[in-house]
Amino acid sequence: MEISTLSKATTCELKKPRRSSLKIGQGRWLIYLILIVGLSFTLLPFLMMILSSFKTNLELLRIPSTFWPEKFTLQNYIKIFNDPNLPLMHFYGNSAFVAFFNVISTLFTSSLIGYMFAKFEFPGKKILFGLFLTMMMIPMQITMIPSYLILAKIGLINSLWSLIIFSAVDPFGIFLMRQFCETIPNELMDAARVDGASEWRIYGKIVLPQLGAPLATLGILSFMFSWNSYLWPMIVLQKVEVRTLPVILTWFSTSHAGQAGLIMAATVLIVIPVLIVFMYFQKWIVQGFTMTGLK
Amino acid sequence: MRVKNKQIKISTLSGVAVAKRRFVLGVSIPLLLYLSLSIFVLGWALLLMFFEYSPTRRGGPFLGLGGSNPFVGLGNFVEMVKGKSIEARLFRTSLKNTLIFAFAVLPLNLVITLPLAWLLESIGQRFKTIFRTIYFMPVLMSSVGVALIWLRLYQPQSGWLNQIIRFFGGTPKAWLSDPTSGFMGVPIPMWAVIMTYLWQDYGFNLVIFTAALQGIPKMLKEAAMVDGANRWQIFSKIMVPLIRPALLFVCVMTMLSSFQVFDVIQVMTGGGPGYQTQVLVLDIYKNAFRYYRMGWAAAESFVLILIVMSVTIFQMRVLRTKWEY
Repeated sequence: MEISTLSKATTCELKKPRRSSLKIGQGRWLIYLILIVGLSFTLLPFLMMILSSFKTNLELLRIPSTFWPEKFTLQNYIKIFNDPNLPLMHFYGNSAFVAFFNVISTLFTSSLIGYMFAKFEFPGKKILFGLFLTMMMIPMQITMIPSYLILAKIGLINSLWSLIIFSAVDPFGIFLMRQFCETIPNELMDAARVDGASEWRIYGKIVLPQLGAPLATLGILSFMFSWNSYLWPMIVLQKVEVRTLPVILTWFSTSHAGQAGLIMAATVLIVIPVLIVFMYFQKWIVQGFTMTGLK
Repeated sequence: MRVKNKQIKISTLSGVAVAKRRFVLGVSIPLLLYLSLSIFVLGWALLLMFFEYSPTRRGGPFLGLGGSNPFVGLGNFVEMVKGKSIEARLFRTSLKNTLIFAFAVLPLNLVITLPLAWLLESIGQRFKTIFRTIYFMPVLMSSVGVALIWLRLYQPQSGWLNQIIRFFGGTPKAWLSDPTSGFMGVPIPMWAVIMTYLWQDYGFNLVIFTAALQGIPKMLKEAAMVDGANRWQIFSKIMVPLIRPALLFVCVMTMLSSFQVFDVIQVMTGGGPGYQTQVLVLDIYKNAFRYYRMGWAAAESFVLILIVMSVTIFQMRVLRTKWEY
């Protein structure tokens, strides 16, 4: 319910830009000033990262340091891509592999289980859902030790699958999908049932298409979480060659300490895919966060 | 004829019911298996905290507990409260640091995001979108990347922060490694990681607040203006009370995530200098996976969860609203 009103509010606003009551006030320039100060607080570190990645190491060590690179150089990037000890593409591959399966499994399980909780009545449903909510509140720090022990026992340490298995079911995604499924009118499903469609077909052909927008949002979010996650991959992936990007980034930064240009270039390369995804899906992501955030 | 019709209806209905039940079973059985696995994992964690367990020792037959991994009862917890060992002291330090971190992050975050969201709400739509997008960018960044960027900014010799301070004639500092200086009783390295964390996190709350402010009917604000309320009064007496559900959510989420802070601190300071930024999750991580003191680490994580839950429940009590608009 909240979700639909929220999106309605946003579309209304897109159509008719509202003039604010503060516009006529003398405080308008002050508002912009404060916002721009906040903006530069956010942007300066980004700028520093990008500019530093184009500087030579010599320039980075100099005091006082320069703001703009004296001479733009791609040397850092070339070095990273040609470093035989750091096959960056291989690590991109690792991260992408994990992210892909995480997204697929999260979307599948969340929509299916959320649909079941929203539209089916069965004994023990309330208890099952309550159990889910409880599991949602338990932070992974308490379960990570036994989970690690289990993985060690079945020999999945150093396997990328260990990252995929443990996030196959996402209680948060189920919660979200359940909320959306409740807004689908029952008549749609009943009509299909009368026409003789099987329950799985109804899920695939009727429910899933209705969930397009929230699925996209959930998919993007789980991509981001998967791409950025650090603690669990660091615990599970102990061999260098199976590591994902954030883990390899810290390893790289300690082994190349003092070569700030290289480290910043590597950071840029790891941050960029996420920023591209964000720029592209900006509206959905912000909406997704607020949707899932409120109530 | 009529009877036949009815019979057909009943038979298809029951067919649908059977299909539905089969669907529910097909979905919920794997789900139950998964759930019981997580409950098993949770139970194991809860068991571990009563043992002195290390995976490097061969223990008893059941989960490796017992034998050379002895049962210590509440020993781990007693040790935490009044033990003299290094682990116990380190635990208390980490707990203190975590509390400092969380209780510094929450008010600072609110002080930044609430007014900023309100200001953002009062400018034109196009600018608002641009501002919001940029404010939100760090939220989605890898926190390892964020930590490395700030590591560079804090660099004592050529980092930009000291550069700016020198420009204004101040004395530069070793932000992350100077154990001697503090501000308001909290060491400077701790403030440094708090700043980094805030930089990454505040866009999230900002977006939540702007969405909540958008939902407030305009007429409430206008009515207050007609009655002669000033801007501060409108903000504190109308806006803030009306976005209480969002405020509650933000407080809970911010607290939860800052109690569990790990990435930024692990990369930037590793807990140093001299354990001044050692937080609980970092301590748990080190105990469990570096020193293999897993029983101890499990007990620590249980304490963490107790704190997290009680803070959440407390906030829900305090900030709960009964009315709607």
